[in-house]
Amino acid sequence: MFAALKHIVLLLGGFVVLAPFAVMLSYSLKSPAEIERGTGGFFGAQAPMVDEMCVARSQPDRAALDAARAASPDLTDDAILSRLDTDRREACSMRPVVFNYTKAFTEAPLMRYLLNGLIVTLSIFVIQVVVALPAAYALAKLRFWGRDAAFALVLFCLLIPVNAVALPLYLGLAKLGLTNSYAALVIPWTISAFGIFLMRQFFMGVPDDLVDAARMDGMGEFAIVWRVMLPTAIPALIAFAIFSITAHWNDYFWPRIVITGDRDLFTPPLGLREFQAGADGSLYGPMMATATIIVIPLIAAFLLAQRKFIEGIALSGMK
Amino acid sequence: MTRSGHGGTALLLGAPALALMMAILILPILAAVILSFTDYSLGASDIRWVGFENYAKIFGNSTYEKMLIATGTYVAVVVPASIGLGLGAALLIQSVTRGAAFYKSVYFLPVMATLLAMTIVWQMMLHPTIGVVNRSLLAVCGVLPDGACPAEMPLWLGDRNYAIWVTCFIGVWQGFGFNMVLYLAGLSGVSRELYGAAEIDGARSAWERFRLVTWPALRPTTVFVLITTSVRAFQTFDTVEVLFSPGGGPSKSVYLMMFAIYEKGIVQNLVGIGAAITVLFLMSVMALTVLQRRIAERKAY
Repeated sequence: MFAALKHIVLLLGGFVVLAPFAVMLSYSLKSPAEIERGTGGFFGAQAPMVDEMCVARSQPDRAALDAARAASPDLTDDAILSRLDTDRREACSMRPVVFNYTKAFTEAPLMRYLLNGLIVTLSIFVIQVVVALPAAYALAKLRFWGRDAAFALVLFCLLIPVNAVALPLYLGLAKLGLTNSYAALVIPWTISAFGIFLMRQFFMGVPDDLVDAARMDGMGEFAIVWRVMLPTAIPALIAFAIFSITAHWNDYFWPRIVITGDRDLFTPPLGLREFQAGADGSLYGPMMATATIIVIPLIAAFLLAQRKFIEGIALSGMK
Repeated sequence: MTRSGHGGTALLLGAPALALMMAILILPILAAVILSFTDYSLGASDIRWVGFENYAKIFGNSTYEKMLIATGTYVAVVVPASIGLGLGAALLIQSVTRGAAFYKSVYFLPVMATLLAMTIVWQMMLHPTIGVVNRSLLAVCGVLPDGACPAEMPLWLGDRNYAIWVTCFIGVWQGFGFNMVLYLAGLSGVSRELYGAAEIDGARSAWERFRLVTWPALRPTTVFVLITTSVRAFQTFDTVEVLFSPGGGPSKSVYLMMFAIYEKGIVQNLVGIGAAITVLFLMSVMALTVLQRRIAERKAY
């Protein structure tokens, strides 16, 4: 009885949490009329619909007209025209789900946006690791003058959300003429105090003997960072990757600021936002298809590797 | 440790991180502080020192007063709500025998999803006439006796009495799953023996056990969750930009600080004001974080 109540509460919560996902997916399958009237159930009737823009684009030219006349000389011009018109509408008719998902890619350069998202997200992650790992190693395993001060600086930087200093960063990039470039999308995120902190905490647990043995073998400090420390830090690295990649694939604030107008540099969220801004009601379906395409990679990754994700998040909380 | 002097190596290894921390985090703070005392705008040839004028504007002008109220309301609602729901969900999920993994993944989905995209979906759902929310409410009202429902359905985003709460709701919807995961990790660390001991000491009811054992044991988790949730709440931008751009909602009721920095400092190129808001923003976030950490350290045992 009590257990049943718990499940009811959890299911109700789940219903609210999932509602927007269901609406997004459902709208991405339906025709404009079904969305507007709220009919068609979850999947829509999938009755073929005519893409008016496709019809308008494929007006027959004189050559096509002449060819049609030659093919059926017994018909009047009007009859030929109306038959061509029917053919065209037929060629331009498709199921709503096909319409929505093709439109998502043709109405805007979505493929380009996705590629940009991938480039930016991966560049940020790789640079963050390249910068943070050696610093974390130095803080955890080397003795030097000013180490405590350096670590205090990291802790202080942990308090500063990069978004909070967006305005001066933007001004700086603008002065350097870097706005509207990949560099502008990546540079502000190259340093992650969180990454340094997480790795440093992790390295503190790695036995000194391991480092000393590597030094005995004649390894240099750089080699130790990448060939000895890096492999031990894989769990922390995965946790950090989850944070970093999720944050930057989904980020909208920063691209909004530094990319103005140049569609070739849009990241997925920015592309979706522009889509929405320009959409009249008839493009709700394609817009939701775009949203689905953008949301799905991370959701899929999460569902496939749930344990890793949840452990990663929990790991960061423990430190 | 074998050697004690690694100064040179450490400097070499740490130099990129150090330089970037300075250039990307520390210097911009200094720049923001300085710019907040000027009337600078991007592209202008001259720059004038205006003293505290920008700050006076923020505390004297009703627009910025609304910004402070909106931000305060948002943080004050979203932080406790998403912590409470995160903890509640974690406790429930931990106590059920079946379906725990399922609920866990469902509640975590919004954390992974692109907030911008989901905000656009919420916007469509909350559309006054063709949105799913009002359609469902109407359907429910159809079977209720007359007078049980108001004559008109809420406008939601267009109504100043609803706009900020709807925005808070989306914030909670998106963030509580993250807290749930952290609390689940925290709960798995609470030792079973403590509960047995508490029971012997007379803690019979579930509430007593929670109050005497679970809640104190979760203290470190709570502090961490409190800090991350507050900092995130302060930074809310995507929802406001999608739902209430330009302007910040009906009578500026959802004019959150992050959005104000963007609109004033970048879109309208009023850098001085934008910088002053930036400074206030930084001070709030840092003060809050330090305060919460202090509390955690003082009461830790």
